Amino acid sequence: MPSICFYFQVHQPYRLKEYTFFDIGSNHSYLDDEKNREVLNKVSDKCYIPTNKLMLELIEKHQGKFKISYSISGVALEQFAEWRPDVLQSFIELANTGCVEFISETYYHSLAFIFSREEFKRQIEQHRQLIKKYFKQEPKVFRNTELQYNNELAKVIEDMGYDAIICEGVDRLLGDRSPNHLYKAPNVTKIKSLLKNYRLSDDIAFRFSDRNWSEWPLTAERYAEWVHSVAGHGETINLFMDYETFGEHQWAQSGIFEFMRYMPGYVLKHPDFDFKTVSETAAAYPVRDVYDAHHLISWADTERDLSAWLGNPMQDEAIAKIYELEQEIYDSNDKELLDTWKKMLTSDHFYYMCTKYWADGDVHKYFSPYDSPYDAYIYFMNAMSDLGNRLRKKHHPKLKKKA
Amino acid sequence: MKKRIKVLMFGWEFPPVISGGLGVATLGLCKAMAPLADVKMIIPKNVPDFNIPNIELVGLNSIGKNELEELFKKEIHYSFPEMRMHKGAGFGPYTRIAENEFIDKKFYDVFHGEVTPFEIDDLYGGDVIKKVIEFARISVQYCLRTKFDVIHAHDWMTFLPAMELKIRTGKPLVLHVHSTEYDRAGEHSKNWVWDLEKRAMELADRIIPVSHYTGEICAKHYGVDPSKIMPVHNGIEAVKHTVKNKPFEGNLVIFFGRVTMQKGPEYFVEAARKVLSIHPNTKFVLAGSGDLLRPMIERTASYGIGDKFFFTGFLNKKMLNELLAIADVYCMPSVSEPFGLSAVEAVQYGIPTIISKTSGVAEVLNGSLKIDVWDVDKFAEYIMAALDYKGLKKSVVDANAHSLESITWENCAQKVMHVYQSIFDEQE
Repeated sequence: MPSICFYFQVHQPYRLKEYTFFDIGSNHSYLDDEKNREVLNKVSDKCYIPTNKLMLELIEKHQGKFKISYSISGVALEQFAEWRPDVLQSFIELANTGCVEFISETYYHSLAFIFSREEFKRQIEQHRQLIKKYFKQEPKVFRNTELQYNNELAKVIEDMGYDAIICEGVDRLLGDRSPNHLYKAPNVTKIKSLLKNYRLSDDIAFRFSDRNWSEWPLTAERYAEWVHSVAGHGETINLFMDYETFGEHQWAQSGIFEFMRYMPGYVLKHPDFDFKTVSETAAAYPVRDVYDAHHLISWADTERDLSAWLGNPMQDEAIAKIYELEQEIYDSNDKELLDTWKKMLTSDHFYYMCTKYWADGDVHKYFSPYDSPYDAYIYFMNAMSDLGNRLRKKHHPKLKKKA
Repeated sequence: MKKRIKVLMFGWEFPPVISGGLGVATLGLCKAMAPLADVKMIIPKNVPDFNIPNIELVGLNSIGKNELEELFKKEIHYSFPEMRMHKGAGFGPYTRIAENEFIDKKFYDVFHGEVTPFEIDDLYGGDVIKKVIEFARISVQYCLRTKFDVIHAHDWMTFLPAMELKIRTGKPLVLHVHSTEYDRAGEHSKNWVWDLEKRAMELADRIIPVSHYTGEICAKHYGVDPSKIMPVHNGIEAVKHTVKNKPFEGNLVIFFGRVTMQKGPEYFVEAARKVLSIHPNTKFVLAGSGDLLRPMIERTASYGIGDKFFFTGFLNKKMLNELLAIADVYCMPSVSEPFGLSAVEAVQYGIPTIISKTSGVAEVLNGSLKIDVWDVDKFAEYIMAALDYKGLKKSVVDANAHSLESITWENCAQKVMHVYQSIFDEQE
């Protein structure tokens, strides 16, 4: 009996303001509160509020047969609590239905797994506490930032007590095997890996409103047929996508809400199909084969690797230097400095510095609040420089007097 | 095999007689065109022993007295004195010699004067317009005896003979626009040179601006039909340069080019002042000369940064290379720059580049740091970041090196051939 396993990613970073060289030493606030609030309001009105309402309606309508999972970053939840408590409340209502599961991730949507194992674990714990506080759940499934994943991560997460971990179903690792089964890493005992079915996921997330796509316009009925065709050779169809797909990436005018409103009904018409949350999926099906991800993979771009966040000299320098401050930051015992530092670990900052395709003039490839990847880098470096100066002054109070 | 196209080209600057980017560009294009077409190049002045393989180079200075007499046995009646070009009192580099009453007299003097062998010392010195008219008179008479399929003229100095030959022979006219009076003098440039450019653009079959940016100026400020405009970016000759160690401590930020309003030297000075307030150990060099040189020197003195800000005056190629070899950041804050070959030269030295958005080269050096020239804060910010942040420096340099691969004269020549072909296709 094949299942549909929906997981939606909800994340909003704390963007940095255009913090210039001339601000260093005189201005210690780096976050663009105005912009962050503006984006949060916009996305809340276009996506979170109407989509949460729709999901609640679907859960009520299908009386427990429609189930979904969310991974909401800590920084997104923080911003909801501060600026849009109504959005937070609507997620709590969803949690109360019993048909919604919340997934564990790094609080700051960070790349800590690569740069600091200690910080990685701290952020997961910090996130667990927040999920428990708001949604009264103990997450059993983990997903890493942007579905970054390898065998080593699977092992680390298993050792932390999780039942399952989420990752991308990458063609080069799957070969001719299907993503519609559960897999495991070669080096783990029991943790199960849930692989994203990127074709069926991207039909909704990327292609839905593409008028050049041969399947446009995609109807809920047609999509359900594709899903049903998996019957007999698959156990779970993992549809993983950004939640902002609904109303933000795919505009309301594209019909994405109507599609979502009717699709579950069409899927459930086939008596063999149902919807499961991530941990239900992991519990329901056995591991069928080994998924051997030696190098880090992700769900980004056609490369499905880390090249959107790391690899160019700016990204590499910025991220190496921010993690270099880790020890000093913790030693300082300064809550404000620690909070600022952690917010600068969010992966989006490095994504904005991406220059892939940039030299070819493809400037719109990467969405960013800044004019160019250079600006993203400069503001980050300036802010980090000021943060570093403040830290040093704390360590050497004499310097402070001198200044 | 298709018949090789015979191109009649008119140039003004040409190596080794050179003052700016125009000569470099004309030569680069010519060399790359040689395998593709038969090019005859008419220039004011050539130097014995300076030859380019497969290019027929004709310096008007080399047409002797006897040959001239032969050419002028029967002189044609020129159309351009009757064009009634607008001679409005606009400002511009040539304004004083382009004033109303003088233009008619210049035409009269040239066309009623003796035909004497063409002589020119300084291509832009003295009475340039009179030289331009003399150049037109002799070259038209000369070219009417030659066979060609297309006329290709580089900048306003050569537009008169090109127009005359177009009118007489009906052969297609292609204007290569390296710079316009609008770039040189801004909004208030509606003088005789501006009008010459406008008339020539109207008459031309195709206009090849050196960038989309310049193409837009042709369309917007000269009212040219955009369908005639086919931009072709300049190339550069590939050279490998080695970076040297500086003979002094601290960073070096450079600007080179004519010190005129067009090149934005004052923005460079203002940005330097801001940078020096934070990084007093930085040095700035402004290389070049022009009418704004003295005001710039006075300004740096009044800011008290004279010990950090150096003026070298005009530098020859060798000295310029010495400067590039030790520089840390290159700045080109041009208010209006049709292309900006010097930025590409800096790229060849692996120097991070800060260039204005109002430049043609910004279209090909996608990875450069780009500024609005008026945004001095951002300009200073970029200078400091390019000096301080290694990751940025490397990213800019890497991206520019990638762009450099396609900035070749071969690409440029291919595109120019496509422009010719588009005219022939239309005529068929």
